[in-house]
Formats: sequence, structure tokens, C-alpha cells
Amino acid sequence: MKRYRLHILAGSFVALLAFVMPAVAHHSFTAVFDQDQPVTVHGLITQIRLENPHSWFFLDVRDATGKVEKWAFEAGTPSGMIRNGFKPGIIKAGAEVTVKGIRARDMSQKMGMLRELITADGKVYGAFGSQVGSETR
Amino acid sequence: MKRLLITSIVTAAMLTPVLAAQRGTAGTPAQVNTTAAGAVPRMADGHPDLSGVWWRGSDIGGRPAPGTPGALGGSPAGARGGGRGAPPPSFTSLYQPWALEKAKTLGDKDDPSLRCIPTSFGTLNVSLFSVGAVGQIVQTPKFVVMLTETYHGFKLVPTDGRAHRDDVPPSYRGDSVGHWEGDTLVVDTTNFSDVPWMFAEGRVSFHSDALHIVERYRRVDANTLEIEATVEDPMVLTGPWTVPKQTLTLAPFDQIMDLNCSGLETQSLMDAAAKQNYGKK
Repeated sequence: MKRYRLHILAGSFVALLAFVMPAVAHHSFTAVFDQDQPVTVHGLITQIRLENPHSWFFLDVRDATGKVEKWAFEAGTPSGMIRNGFKPGIIKAGAEVTVKGIRARDMSQKMGMLRELITADGKVYGAFGSQVGSETR
Repeated sequence: MKRLLITSIVTAAMLTPVLAAQRGTAGTPAQVNTTAAGAVPRMADGHPDLSGVWWRGSDIGGRPAPGTPGALGGSPAGARGGGRGAPPPSFTSLYQPWALEKAKTLGDKDDPSLRCIPTSFGTLNVSLFSVGAVGQIVQTPKFVVMLTETYHGFKLVPTDGRAHRDDVPPSYRGDSVGHWEGDTLVVDTTNFSDVPWMFAEGRVSFHSDALHIVERYRRVDANTLEIEATVEDPMVLTGPWTVPKQTLTLAPFDQIMDLNCSGLETQSLMDAAAKQNYGKK
């Protein structure tokens, strides 16, 4: 088994400051997630739930000491994800992925908002499905 | 706009530009019908047949097809469908004083939809939608059935002249009756529960059980459905609110999905954030 690493990027980035969440939901992502706390994790998918109000991606991430941490990332509505190119079942449990996002304001929880999911073979998915046309993301 | 609870995600989507090709079911790009819209299909009784899957030309987060009404979110800011002269009052301007004060105490974390409670009046202020933005109409000689893709929402609209029922409890989606005025289907909905909230101009708001919604559906051609509505809530608003006209298009697929709401992680995050004074306003 490969060694999985956790890499948390702290601080502000211009790109994230300019980031506008292009989703529809009945809550404000900015109220929950901190744009100034970007995070990138690399690990194994344990579960993907395409459900309302929003989809969630769960993964196990091994830190530098070998300890496994459980992370969860909120993504878009299931209908938006599916119709924008994220086919249910396309990523199986155990798949190795990299997730880029921003952390929840509640830093006691290892949760975040998914901005980009990259599979081991290089496919990229956004919070609303296939990462085609970054102008809409 | 401090009076309503911010749904910035909705607002962001409203700003999504019209750019590229429409996508179809399950992520498969769909061929967009670029031919001229055909005549309005009709039922055997001569009334327009409103059946079909309707959306704004894309799903949430997607890119509307050329020639479709545009990005999710309805009319551009300030636009009011169908009217001339001074625009009608906004929803927020109609709050009664007590309601305005109440709104100030509520935040995103209080939105019942985070607990999987559907909206009483959905995205874009279209009853066909709930939290999502895709819905299906199935029309029979006696009923117009409206099915929402999210939160298991449905609305049964009898069109045979019957009155509202007086033997059903208040509900999230209310009790509806309909009638035809020429080619326009007029849907009158009452008997709402005050538990859910409603969509209102890109945000969400509480309402009372006195909520009363009258919608007018008109299929203007084979691919286009226009919806206008008036909202009354004498317990919350000082007067009727005229909803900006929404224009939906026929989706390039004929079956919506069944999408559950069961995720509670979002609610827990909202609660946690609220403790840090986020999510209030």
C-alpha cells in the first residue's frame, strides 16, 4: 500500500480570494467554510454519497506518522453533479484520490468543501461534476 | 439585503454566464434541439399539455445551452417579468415589522432544508422545483401532477373544478386546485405548514401557515413554459408579492431522478460555524 500524505496549506491565496462558489443550495458555503484555509489531502475513498442537500465525499488520509485520519468533503447537489458529468459509481471505495478544497470553519472537524477531486489516472472533477469548462466553476 | 437569509450559492449560480452546450441525463452530453420550437401539444380536451421535464436550460452548476433562458436564478437583478412601469415591490420590502425583526434573528443554519425539509415554494419561485431546479409535469385529463426531483416533492393539481380539500392537514407543499383560463393553467395553493421555508428572490424566508400562492402556467410553444405567480401571506407580508416571471425550457430527457435527502453533515457544520458567529447573516 502506498503511503498517503496529508498536506494542509494555510493562508490566503489570490485564486481563492477570487473564488465564487457556483452552486445552488439553501445555505451559504461561506458561512461554513473558510476561503482562507485551503486544504489538499491525498487518500483513499471510503464512501461517496450523492444525496441532498449536498453530496459528500469521505476518505481516509494517512498523515506523516502513519496515522489514518478520516476526512469528509461537501460537494454539490447530486443532480448537478450527475448532469455535469459525475457518473454514480465511477469512483469506487478504495480509489486513490487527491482532494483540493477549503476547510470548515470548525477546525476541530476534518471537513471541507470540495473544489477539485483528482483521480489516480488524472481525471478531474469539480464540486459539480466533470471539470470541463473551468469558467463555470 | 439583511432581511432575508443569504443563500449565496444560489446567488452565485444566478451569475453563471450562458456559455456552452447543454448536457443530458446522467452526465451524458445531450444534443440540443436547435430547430424552431413546435406548436404547443394539446390534450384530447383541447387544453395545452404541460407534460415534460422542465428546467432553466441546465442543472445546478451547469452551463445553459444557447437559446435557453440562461443561468439559474431567473430574471436578472431588477428585472420583473411581464410588467411595465415601476417594478413591483420586492419580497423583502413587504415584511411586516415583526417579521423583519424575526428575520434578523435567523441565519442560514436555521434553514429547514438543511434538515431535509423541502421548500414550500422552490428554487426560482417555481412550485415545480424544491431545492433543485428540475421538475417534471405529468398531465392527465383530471390532474396535473408536478414532481420535483429533490426532496421527494410532488403536487397534485386537480383540474376538474373541485374545491380545496378541508380534510387534509397542513403540508409542506400545500393543497392545490387548478383551472384553465384559456391556455393558462391557474394553480391555487393553500393549507401550507409553517415548518418549511420558501425561496424568495435568490434567498430563503420563513412564512406562516396563511401562505397562499397563485401560479399561472402557460406553455408558449413546444419547448417553453412560462410561470407567473403571486404570493400572499397576511401573517408575514404587508401585501401580495408579485414573483418575477420565470421561463423554463423542455429538458432533453423525459425522466427526472429520485434523489434522496439524508445528509446531516451540512447541518452539523452549520451549527458549528454558528457557534463561531458565522452563518448568522
